[in-house]
Amino acid sequence: MTSVPLNAYLMLALILFCIGLFGALTKRNTVIVLISIELMLNAVNINLVAFSKLGMHPSITGQVFTLFTITVAAAEAAVALAILMALFRNRSTVQIDEMDGMKH
Amino acid sequence: MDFFVYQNSYVFVAAFLLLGLLLPITALTVGRWLRPHHPDPLKSTTYESGIEPFHDARVQFNVRYYMFALLFVIFDVETVFLYPWAVAYDELGLFALVEMLIFVVMLLIGLIYAWKKKVLTWT
Amino acid sequence: MDIGTLLSYPWEIMMPEFIILIAATGLSLTDLFLPSRVNRRIFGWISAAAVLAALISLLTQAGSEPAQILHNTYRLDSFSISFKALLLFGTLLVLLISTSYLARSDVEEQGEWYYLFLAALLGAMMMASSADLITLFVGLELLAIASYILTGIRKKSAESNEAAMKYAINGGIATAVTLFGFSYLYGLSGSTNLGDISREISALSADHGHALTVAAFIITFVGLSFKLATVPFHMWAPDIYQGSPLPVMAFLSVVSKTAGFIILFRVMLSIFPTVQGFQPDESLYQSVMIFVSIAAGLTMIIGNILALRQNNIKRLFAYSSIAHAGYLLVPFVAFSQMMFESTWFYLLAYVFMNLGALAVLHIIISENQSAHISGFAGLYQRSPVLTVCMTIFLLSLAGIPGTAGFMGKLHIFIGALFADPSRYVLVSVMLVTTVVSYIYYFSIMLHMYMRPPKRYTKITWPIGATLTIALCVAGTLLLGIFPGAALQFLQEYFWFNDMFTLN
Repeated sequence: MTSVPLNAYLMLALILFCIGLFGALTKRNTVIVLISIELMLNAVNINLVAFSKLGMHPSITGQVFTLFTITVAAAEAAVALAILMALFRNRSTVQIDEMDGMKH
Repeated sequence: MDFFVYQNSYVFVAAFLLLGLLLPITALTVGRWLRPHHPDPLKSTTYESGIEPFHDARVQFNVRYYMFALLFVIFDVETVFLYPWAVAYDELGLFALVEMLIFVVMLLIGLIYAWKKKVLTWT
Repeated sequence: MDIGTLLSYPWEIMMPEFIILIAATGLSLTDLFLPSRVNRRIFGWISAAAVLAALISLLTQAGSEPAQILHNTYRLDSFSISFKALLLFGTLLVLLISTSYLARSDVEEQGEWYYLFLAALLGAMMMASSADLITLFVGLELLAIASYILTGIRKKSAESNEAAMKYAINGGIATAVTLFGFSYLYGLSGSTNLGDISREISALSADHGHALTVAAFIITFVGLSFKLATVPFHMWAPDIYQGSPLPVMAFLSVVSKTAGFIILFRVMLSIFPTVQGFQPDESLYQSVMIFVSIAAGLTMIIGNILALRQNNIKRLFAYSSIAHAGYLLVPFVAFSQMMFESTWFYLLAYVFMNLGALAVLHIIISENQSAHISGFAGLYQRSPVLTVCMTIFLLSLAGIPGTAGFMGKLHIFIGALFADPSRYVLVSVMLVTTVVSYIYYFSIMLHMYMRPPKRYTKITWPIGATLTIALCVAGTLLLGIFPGAALQFLQEYFWFNDMFTLN
């Protein structure tokens, strides 16, 4: 059984986080933006689990933290989608760049 | 030692990656060279089992499904907390069982909330 | 953990949280089973009473020894008591404004309105007294998610929806960035307890994992500055403040901002001052403060300058609140002995003056059905009392002597000048931008006193907003004239350095 070094996990998480951040800042469709935010949160989860198993001070706390991150991410996604539905009913759009009702 | 094994196993991954990229590229390029190219409007229509295409391929789902999906997402994720408890049940004992029951009762309150807010009815 | 250890904890130190929790759950269940024809107005007074009770029970804890329960995740020290008092007091005033707002609005879910506020408050309070990254994070999210819903609670209004969507997206990104920083903090120390993290990171040698520590600091700071709406992460604030209902805007600009500073202080000051910096003789905290001070300076400059060209009064106050966040970063940068005192005092002054001004704003906006600045025209002829109150708040926000805002700014100045090293540049930026801010605050006064009113109808005084205005006028003037009383109370009962002990 070979073990993947910690750095590989950290790099994976960093790349995933950057992809998520890029998507969240550039995409026009709100649903894609929400998916990108989920990507960022999953990068955090990879980091936490990798540290909890292979870090300098391995401990179970990282995995517990991950459980909380997953739960809160789900709650946040649910609220964001519900808000998106309300917005769609009023404005019939999910495009971010059309949400400019308050430009001054 | 460990490090080299790790490097080696990534050589396989790289080989497969290369193969996976090359195969479709060659197949499509060679196909393009070999096949005749005479487009006409009838040929470029969507093929739908021989029937004339009559509506959009994308079907919009009823928005009410979203409510169930949202509820599902939340309650589904809560089981994340139940799982580690179930795995370690033998060591945790009665006290953790009571704690988990409290947790489940809280979820139940959430369900009652959704029910009273008429989220679960299809009208 | 078994039942014995659980019962052995001194649970009474969580009394304020329990009061809010019981009130929120009780109200949500009552709202569920109460027939929909029953008016929910009483909920407002019940929740205000609960917040008041929690405030009183919190104040009885003042001066007590620092204590930690629940495996050191919950911590009660001077820092948490004093800042929780600000949160509770701010929410109390916001709830009072809400009672008059809801009487004349299109919000259908009036019951939800109140218990969402209580849930958000509970999240903020948990943040104030948590000594663990996980509880900090859960508290932060409880506050954030409740605020997203509150921002979009006017379901029929496209503006409100849009603001909520923007807030949810920006907040989500901020949360993810903050958490990414937290994950490195955890990785470097193998613990989520703030004290353990500090010890482990300080023990790291300078070449080992040092880059990661700096990265963790910067990523966490970036994530938190989204929450504080400091430049360059301030863009979301004006839209969200404009689109949200006025009491929610008041909550975001005062309570949520206070909570942002709480988490900033708690995380940064618990962990980084003992970590070695770029030079051998300075701490990491001092090494990276240059970035934070640039952010603070830009926040003051950009917030004040953009406020100059706003015609929408809610947007104007949004930019003004960005500028105030910049002022509040100054003591954090200076890191002097007076840091906690001046931040606390300024936040208290800010609670009084900003919430007072927003309560007046509520009356004006609901009279005119528009948030344009011309709504203030000729207010002096219509209601001299209201005009004088608004004048006091504006003078205080601008920082004219004799008001709370002036004393707050003075304390920040003195703290920054006597810090080691002195922050002359930051102080001069603060002075200049304060003068710039006179222009837009005084332009509101110009409208009130000099312009003719559009109509001469009498202004009605709704009871909740009136109470808030009265309390805020009293607070602004008292803090301005007798600032010693508040500071003496602070010095007598709170020893902020106990934040760094224990664990």
